[in-house]
Amino acid sequence: MTTASPAPELSLRDKPGFSDLQGVTVEHGLNTQDMVVNIGPQHPSTHGVLRLVTTINGEIVKDMEPVIGYLHRSKEKMAEGRSYFQYQPTIDRVEYLSSFYDHYVYVTAIEALADLKVPKRVEYIRMICMELNRITSHLLWFGTFLLDLGATSPFFYAFREREAIFKLFEDITGARMMYNYFRFGGVNADAPPGWLDDVRKVINELPFRFDEYEAIANKNPIVMDRCIGVGVTSYQDLLDYGVTGPSMRACGVAQDMRKTNPYSCYNEVEFDVPTATEGDVYARYKVRMAEMRESIRIVHQLLDNMPGGDSAELRKLEKEHAKVAEEIAAAKKRVTVAKKNEEAPNAADVAKMAEKAPELPFDYRTTGQKVNLMVFKPPAGEAFSMVESPRGMLGCYLVSDGTPKAYRVKWRGASFSNLTILPSMMIGNLYPDLMAIFGSLDIILPEVDR
Amino acid sequence: MTNEPSKSQHIEAPADDNRVLSGLLEIGRGLKTVLSHVGREAVTLEYPEVLPDLSVRFHGRLCLLTKSDGTDLCIGCKACARVCPCDDLIQIEMHRDGDKKPVIDQFTIDMGRCIFCGNCTEVCPVDCIKMLPDFELADYSREALVLDKYDLTLKGEDADEWRRTHGLAPSVT
Repeated sequence: MTTASPAPELSLRDKPGFSDLQGVTVEHGLNTQDMVVNIGPQHPSTHGVLRLVTTINGEIVKDMEPVIGYLHRSKEKMAEGRSYFQYQPTIDRVEYLSSFYDHYVYVTAIEALADLKVPKRVEYIRMICMELNRITSHLLWFGTFLLDLGATSPFFYAFREREAIFKLFEDITGARMMYNYFRFGGVNADAPPGWLDDVRKVINELPFRFDEYEAIANKNPIVMDRCIGVGVTSYQDLLDYGVTGPSMRACGVAQDMRKTNPYSCYNEVEFDVPTATEGDVYARYKVRMAEMRESIRIVHQLLDNMPGGDSAELRKLEKEHAKVAEEIAAAKKRVTVAKKNEEAPNAADVAKMAEKAPELPFDYRTTGQKVNLMVFKPPAGEAFSMVESPRGMLGCYLVSDGTPKAYRVKWRGASFSNLTILPSMMIGNLYPDLMAIFGSLDIILPEVDR
Repeated sequence: MTNEPSKSQHIEAPADDNRVLSGLLEIGRGLKTVLSHVGREAVTLEYPEVLPDLSVRFHGRLCLLTKSDGTDLCIGCKACARVCPCDDLIQIEMHRDGDKKPVIDQFTIDMGRCIFCGNCTEVCPVDCIKMLPDFELADYSREALVLDKYDLTLKGEDADEWRRTHGLAPSVT
């Protein structure tokens, strides 16, 4: 039996963001009627296909209901009809601003299932890709967020830097957005020769660009007026709605999967988790800007400690090893088929030589263990893996029944939970603040609808 | 798990005259940054005249490499069709001749539905189906986007050139 409790009286004064209107008695002032406004589904500021059914009274939002599902493409069901490798490219199309993360959770879940060992070089390349992807995602957020607030130039500047990083992605994966690069137990191909230097060049430049962005936006009176004290969330609300990522860290919670449960090689790099205590739109902005700088710090460390160094050197080393292997093979052949005028080498010597043959260290490889992608069957079981994506906690739960197709794949996207908090942040707030608050949450709709 | 944050701090708005002055200063600083971009080198490309410098791994139009003498390299194993995430995108018809050698009768790819993931290029056992750095694929009808074996196949010397630029053994017989 359920007992219906009366809806809590809406007290505008208790709601965040109301401080600016203190002294104005809205409830008893104008005798206005409620009006329903449909925001979206096609709206430039919803960054996707989202419909917000909003009830407003004057400028105050009384009620808001997000209507989702316009972009539903049955991502989870698709996994059940395709082999593991066949399903992989479709993951890209869901969280298209940071799809390296989606691939990473999917691939690590399978690696945990099939018990595949991953070389360190692979993990380092994956981490570089992911951290750069975090920067591109935050750059796009920065540009569009300020565009929502009315600033046009930062959008172009952010896209210029994003383009430089996309060029790096194109060099290593062959695609600018739909990467399909990580594989079970490795990566598709090693980084091209000189790629690490290219990365270094780009990320050396970026902090100066960030300084420029901050000179434009940080203390701009319009940005400050529209962001400070707007859309404040409480710690309890965040917990109730399952909000993760920068929105949570802007409330003073240093919750970052990279620190709290380090996956990949995040325990080998030094970095801070930027937090802010205010919990408003401006705090979220500051946290994301600081996160980009931390990502650069991580990438610098990864580049310096890359096992095997640049791939040009690695190819040289591989060639030397191949040469030695050839010599040994030739010597072995001579032991068995000695020609008439030739002395056969001592079999024991050859065996010794073969023992001492140099081998590429496991950590230098780009695939831990070759798997046949067409008939790959992880053993029956289940696995869950999660990462800290630019939007928060991203998880993939995978159940295998031992066939080439997954029995069930469940995704936990950060955007969905982050969107559910929007009504509670908006009710009692000013309608014109909607775009600032919604923009600050950094939601990507295909991930909400999946 | 973690410490509960302190209550949100209310940020004091500066006094009015102060605000105007600091606001003007900050807008000036922002404008200075924006204006400093005027003298910088343009990052945009004059597209149809200037083509972008694409990477060798670029996921573009699919093609079929041939042997150095221009004969078919494909062995008709259909591995590419099996790993393709799009249904029936790659269609292959083949038979075996008197010496049990594979003969490809038909090889069609619907580029209109291709998502350029590169799965097919990865599993090809003979390095036959590959991708070109060609992205100008627009056409006037959907039918024109369905490429048959003749459209897809590269000439012998082009295939050699492809292999040379991608670090494979150039001549295949």
